[in-house]
Amino acid sequence: MRLPPFEYLEPATVPEALAMLDAYRDKAQIIAGGTEVINRLKLRLISPDCIMNIKKLRELDGIVEQEQSLVIGANVSLKELQDSPLLRDKYKAIAEASLQVAAPPLARMGTIGGNILQNTRCLFYNQSAIVLKGLEVCHKRGGTTCLAVKGGKRCFSVYQGDMAPALIAFDAQCVLEKNGARRTIPLVDLFTGMGTHPLSIENNELLTGIIVPKQNGAYGSTYRKLRVRGSIDYPLASAAALLALGADGTLAVSRLVIGASGPAPRIVAGAPAALSGKLPEDADFAAAAEMAYELSEGVDNLALPGDYRKKMVRVFARRALQGARTDIKGWM
Amino acid sequence: MNELKRYSLTLTVNNETHAVTASPNRTLLEVLREDLHLTGAKESCGEGVCGACTVLVDGQPVRSCLTLAMAMEGKKITTIEGLAQGGQLHPIQAAFVEHHAIQCGFCSPGMILTAYALLRENQNPTEAEIRHAIAGNVCRCTGYAKIVKAIQSLAGEER
Repeated sequence: MRLPPFEYLEPATVPEALAMLDAYRDKAQIIAGGTEVINRLKLRLISPDCIMNIKKLRELDGIVEQEQSLVIGANVSLKELQDSPLLRDKYKAIAEASLQVAAPPLARMGTIGGNILQNTRCLFYNQSAIVLKGLEVCHKRGGTTCLAVKGGKRCFSVYQGDMAPALIAFDAQCVLEKNGARRTIPLVDLFTGMGTHPLSIENNELLTGIIVPKQNGAYGSTYRKLRVRGSIDYPLASAAALLALGADGTLAVSRLVIGASGPAPRIVAGAPAALSGKLPEDADFAAAAEMAYELSEGVDNLALPGDYRKKMVRVFARRALQGARTDIKGWM
Repeated sequence: MNELKRYSLTLTVNNETHAVTASPNRTLLEVLREDLHLTGAKESCGEGVCGACTVLVDGQPVRSCLTLAMAMEGKKITTIEGLAQGGQLHPIQAAFVEHHAIQCGFCSPGMILTAYALLRENQNPTEAEIRHAIAGNVCRCTGYAKIVKAIQSLAGEER
């Protein structure tokens, strides 16, 4: 499939990129690894006037350990995340998420920034122009109908990024820069929860990095995902968990995040209350997993049936909590 | 906007330098096949899933169908045509023939280049490492067993 025509921009520095973004705004589409954007272009889901390749911005490279946090540049490839001994040791959920994105060549091309900023998907949207021509115009395409949920008043497209749930479990923040300004927000707030426009990033902003706070003491984390083929594929249900023990051996931090269950990765808000102050035990994990199940939207708009995916959110949430417990250093 | 402006590019493919004129919306795969007539890399899914378009960029397997040709200046590109030397098949190609790891042949260029990159990094890969490396290359004929065997047969050899 051919790409639509576009102009090509290749800034050499972040300030240059921000100036270009300011000038082009909605007319520009940023590209890094290309594994997400090129496909959207091919399907004509987007037709920007110009493509701005940020792959050469060296300021966006590198995983840097600071006193209180880890700073990951937006251009760090998923392969670099996979290979980082630091991530494997201390931020296991993040390393595991990167290991489960697509296949090795795509992990070399794709970046953490691009993975986070991917758009939501739906079987009735991610199709070629010819297929879409035969379908009613849905919410995602600016219409007033939903083809996945009969009578649906909003868009039920699904956010299928692997990195965001794992990063949110670690309470990560993201750095957004624009000409003359910079803001750091919790990563979870980058997601609007609306399928039609899932990301709250301005059209002149550039995601430059991710800040992951350091965890102390006895803690563990993991990321689990359901997919059709083990070698490739987006998540059809996913869960990330971070558990930390207090001095008395009970849970002091218990964060559970689910993905591929709606238009945004979601924190299971009831999990800390269900788990904190208790020993990390399966019965309580099951209660938290039940909350994850309740929170997830099982809609028939991806490769597997919605009700099955919803049930699998419960299974994968429980497995994520158990996996995080296993990852706690010194845990028997 | 949107008229096809063309740029002059210098691409290094199989150790040869090529001057190409291309619009920014051309993929590396299109330029390799249509401008340089290197048709070894195939377009199959066109969306990065199957791996038939795999070429090496600076020694690493890349989806040429998802790569803009414009971004490839200054990179070293290797296609399947660059493996055989002096009319002699590269040992990996010979091993694929010997072990019947080729049937229809459509995945073979990508599969062989992926194996080439793996064996350059890891001379003695385990079966699990081989299967992980080729996880992004779909073969609908062989069932992978003979491909894995062909790659295993080269373990420990100098390349």
